[in-house]
Amino acid sequence: MFVVPQSRLDQLQRMATTVARAPFTRRTWRELLFFVLAALLEAVGLAFIVPTMAAGTVLAVTFFGLAVFAASLRGARGIGGWHRGLARTLLDTDIEEPEPFVARPGFFGWLQSALRDRTSWRAVAYSLAKAPLVVFGVWFALSTWLATFTCLTYPIWGAHPPNGTVTGAGSPKEFGFVPQLFPPGYFSVGTNGFWHGLFIFVTGVLLFFVAPWTMRFVVVVDRGLMRALLSPDAVTTRMRTLEQARARTVDASAATLRRIERDLHDGTQAQLVALAMRLGQAKEKLAAGGEVDLDQVRGLVDDAHRGAKEAIVELRDLARGIHPPVLDVGLEGALSTLAARSAVPTDVTVTLQDRPTPAIEAIAYFCVAELLANVAQHSQASKASVSCVQHGAWLRIVVRDDGRGGAHAVLVGSSSSGLVGLAERVQAVDGHFDIVSPASGPSVVTVDLPLHA
Amino acid sequence: MSDTIRVAIAEDSAVLRDGLVQLLTDRGFVITDAVGAADVLEEAVARDCPDVAVIDIRMPPTFTDEGLRSAIGLRERYPKLGILLFSQYVETRYAAQLLARDAAGIGYLLKDRVADTSDFVEALVRVASGGTALDPEVVTQLVGASRKRESLAGLSARERQVLSLMAEGRSNAGIARALVISEGAVEKHVANIFTKLNLPVSQADHRRVLAVLRFLES
Repeated sequence: MFVVPQSRLDQLQRMATTVARAPFTRRTWRELLFFVLAALLEAVGLAFIVPTMAAGTVLAVTFFGLAVFAASLRGARGIGGWHRGLARTLLDTDIEEPEPFVARPGFFGWLQSALRDRTSWRAVAYSLAKAPLVVFGVWFALSTWLATFTCLTYPIWGAHPPNGTVTGAGSPKEFGFVPQLFPPGYFSVGTNGFWHGLFIFVTGVLLFFVAPWTMRFVVVVDRGLMRALLSPDAVTTRMRTLEQARARTVDASAATLRRIERDLHDGTQAQLVALAMRLGQAKEKLAAGGEVDLDQVRGLVDDAHRGAKEAIVELRDLARGIHPPVLDVGLEGALSTLAARSAVPTDVTVTLQDRPTPAIEAIAYFCVAELLANVAQHSQASKASVSCVQHGAWLRIVVRDDGRGGAHAVLVGSSSSGLVGLAERVQAVDGHFDIVSPASGPSVVTVDLPLHA
Repeated sequence: MSDTIRVAIAEDSAVLRDGLVQLLTDRGFVITDAVGAADVLEEAVARDCPDVAVIDIRMPPTFTDEGLRSAIGLRERYPKLGILLFSQYVETRYAAQLLARDAAGIGYLLKDRVADTSDFVEALVRVASGGTALDPEVVTQLVGASRKRESLAGLSARERQVLSLMAEGRSNAGIARALVISEGAVEKHVANIFTKLNLPVSQADHRRVLAVLRFLES
C-alpha cells in the first residue's frame, strides 16, 4: 500500500490549517483595507502627477515649466511618504525612510535640488508602476472578494433581485477573475429555488478561502515595488555612508588640530613666555646699574636656561606627535624603534608585501606607540609582542602583553583619552579596534586598518 | 610705590604662574593668591580682597573663556577690584565685552608683555589704581575693525597714532614720549581728534579711553 511520509502529512496539515484560518486573521482584512486605501491614494497621486508632469513638459521651454515640474516631483515624493505610512500602519512593513529633502538656498537652489532629487523621481516611477498593479489587483483580488460577498449573501437577496435588474437578475454579477475559475454560465445555473441558492452559497464559502490569497499576492508584489522604489536607493545610501565617514574624518582632523593647538598653548608657549619673563627681569636688573645682586640674576638666568631646554624637549615631542620622522623609513623600522624604546621587552614581527599609505602608517604607528605606553604604565607585564601582518587589502596589528589585564578599565578611566582618540582615528578610516583584556590578563589588542585610506 | 598693592593671580600654566609670583614678589607686590582655575579665584577674591586680579582668559575646565566670564562676574560684585586679563591671543570680542560698561581699572594684555617687566608692572599698577591698560595689539585690532568707518577716515595718520596710544591708556606725556614729539603737539592732536570725532574733552585718562572705545565699538 502507498504510504505518505509523516513529514509530508504534517506539511499538508499545516497548509490546510493556514488556508482554513486565513479569512479569520487580522492580516487578511488589513491587506484588503490597505489595497483599497492605497488604490484610492494612487488614484489621487496619478490625478496630481500626470497632469502636472504633462503641463511641466508642455511649458518646459519656459522657466515656469521647470517650476511646475519641480512642484510635481515634490508632490510625488510626499505621496510616496503616504504610501510608506499606509504600509507601516496596515501591513506592519517598515519601508526605510529616504533622506529628507534638503534644498539649497534660494529659489534656484530649490528648483535644482527638487529636479535632481532621486527620491522624488523614484516616487514618480512608483506611482506609474503601481497603476497597472492596481488595475490587476481590482481584476484579480478585489473582484474575488466582491464575488465572495455577493455569493455569500445570495440566499438573502437572490430571491428578491434588486429593482430594475432585468437581464441576469437573480444571479451574482460576473466580472474579474472569478468567472475564469468556473465554466461559462456557472452562476446562472437555474434561476431560483433552494438548491440553486445553496449552490451559490457554497461557491461563496469556497471563494471565501481563496480571496485572501489573491489579495496577498497583489500586496506582496506591491511591497516589492515599494521596497524597490520608495526606500533609499543604493547610490544614496552609499553616498550617506561616505558622507558620514567624511564627517568623521573631518572631525578627527579638527580634533587633532585642536589638540596640537592646546599642547602648544599650554606647553611650549607658556614655557617661552615664562622664559622671556625671567630674561626680561635679569636684563632689567643688569641695566639698573649700581649694585647688582649677581646671585639673583644668576638664579633668573638658570631658570631661563632650564625653561629653554624644557621648551625644546616639549617642542620635539610635539613635532614627533604630529608626524614621527622615523615613519619616513617605513612602518617596520618605525615599529622596531618604538619597541626598542619601550620599557617592557618587546618582539616585533612585520610582514608587509605592500606599503600602506602614509595616513595608515601614521595611525598604525600611533596605535602601537600608545598601546606600548599603556603596557609599560599599567600592565606590569614582563614582555610584550607586536605583530603587523598584511591580509590582502588589510593590515592587522596585534599587540599582546603578559600583564595583569583589565585594559578596558584603562580605556574608560582617566588616562583613556589616548586610546579613545586612537579608536576614533581607526574608525575614521573604516578600521576596527578591539580590546580583549580579562581581569587576570593577558591583554590582546587587535587593530585592523585598510592598507589604503 | 607698589608695596601696598595686593594681587591675586589665576593662571593654569604652573610654570607661568610661578614666574609671575616670583616676578611680582620681587617687585614688592603682595601676592594674596595664585590659583589655576576661575572658580577657585572667585573664592580667593571673596576671602582675601586683593586690589587687582591677573586673570588668564583660557583656563580649565573648557579652556575657552572661563577667565573672562569670571572677570565680568567679579567686576559686578567688586567694582573696586582692578582686573588685568592676560591672554595668549587678542580677541576684540573679549575686549569689547569687558570694556562695555566701564574701562576704569581694566587691563587686557598679551602674555608676551611680561617679557618687558617694567612695562608690565607699570600696567599692573595703572590698573590697580583705577586706570586702563590695553595691549597695543588689542588697540590696533579695535581701530582696524573700525578703520572702514567714515568718521575715522577723517583722521590723519598721526592723529590715528595718537588715538591708538590714547586707547592704550597712556597720558599725553606718555604719548609724547612714545612718538618723540612735544607734549603741546600731543595736546593739539588730541583736541583735533575730539573735535573730528565729536567727543567732549575730559581730564581723566581712563575716561578718554572709555570715550574712544565707546566710539570704536558703537
